[in-house]
Amino acid sequence: MTAARFDDLIHPPTRLAIVSLLAASQWAEFKFIRDSVSLSDSALSKQLATLEQAGYVEIRRSFVGKRPRTSARLTPAGRAAFEQHVAALQQMVAGSGLSITPR
Amino acid sequence: MNDLHADEAAQALAEIQRRQQQVIDQATVPGWYWWSVGALMVVLAAGVDTRTPAALGGAVAVFVVGLLSATGVVVRSQFLQARLRDGLLDGRAVVAILGFVALIVGCTLGLAFGLRAAGVHYPATLACLAGGIALGLGGPVLMRALRRIMLGNRAGSTR
Repeated sequence: MTAARFDDLIHPPTRLAIVSLLAASQWAEFKFIRDSVSLSDSALSKQLATLEQAGYVEIRRSFVGKRPRTSARLTPAGRAAFEQHVAALQQMVAGSGLSITPR
Repeated sequence: MNDLHADEAAQALAEIQRRQQQVIDQATVPGWYWWSVGALMVVLAAGVDTRTPAALGGAVAVFVVGLLSATGVVVRSQFLQARLRDGLLDGRAVVAILGFVALIVGCTLGLAFGLRAAGVHYPATLACLAGGIALGLGGPVLMRALRRIMLGNRAGSTR
């Protein structure tokens, strides 16, 4: 069972959206993340840099032909922090009697 | 220590679920792909049934080029954007995929041999027409089943 730990770094809406996308991925392309969360290149770079500094995200830069490709993935520490954060949120909801309606 | 309210936590969980669904939906094979493969099967079978080298060669060429093109479009536009993490697809998903393939191939081959034994003209073409329709209708059903499995295996799932 995952220990519950609220993570202040992950919780802000933009970073929560980014980390949630990455949590379902092995890795995701910069363009895919940017378009999914509707951020500018610079705003996404800033958020990813913050997550990278915390050791939650690994950024990979490569070339496909002559085109640069940037992708990101959660590190094991980032995945663990995300799962603990989800557990903390679930605890809060469970304690209140609220529920999440599955789509 | 955070002072988050329960309804805000519930909203955050709903957002997490929505974002993870986005990745899963991105990796879903589109409906047109299944119909394309079904149509290509019919072309290939028609080439076999005509029993002329030129028709068979043309059919094989159309099948190979068509399959590579359709698969390339799906891989480039869907799978290269975000690769699903290991663990979303489990043993049930493998059984579903293999069962689907076995069902389509088995029924198509069985029908083709049955039609041939009954002396029907163009048995492979007719069998592949039925198999192609089954593929076009069944592919999206398989995708929906895989989506349900993946959603159940995502982080934070209560199912």
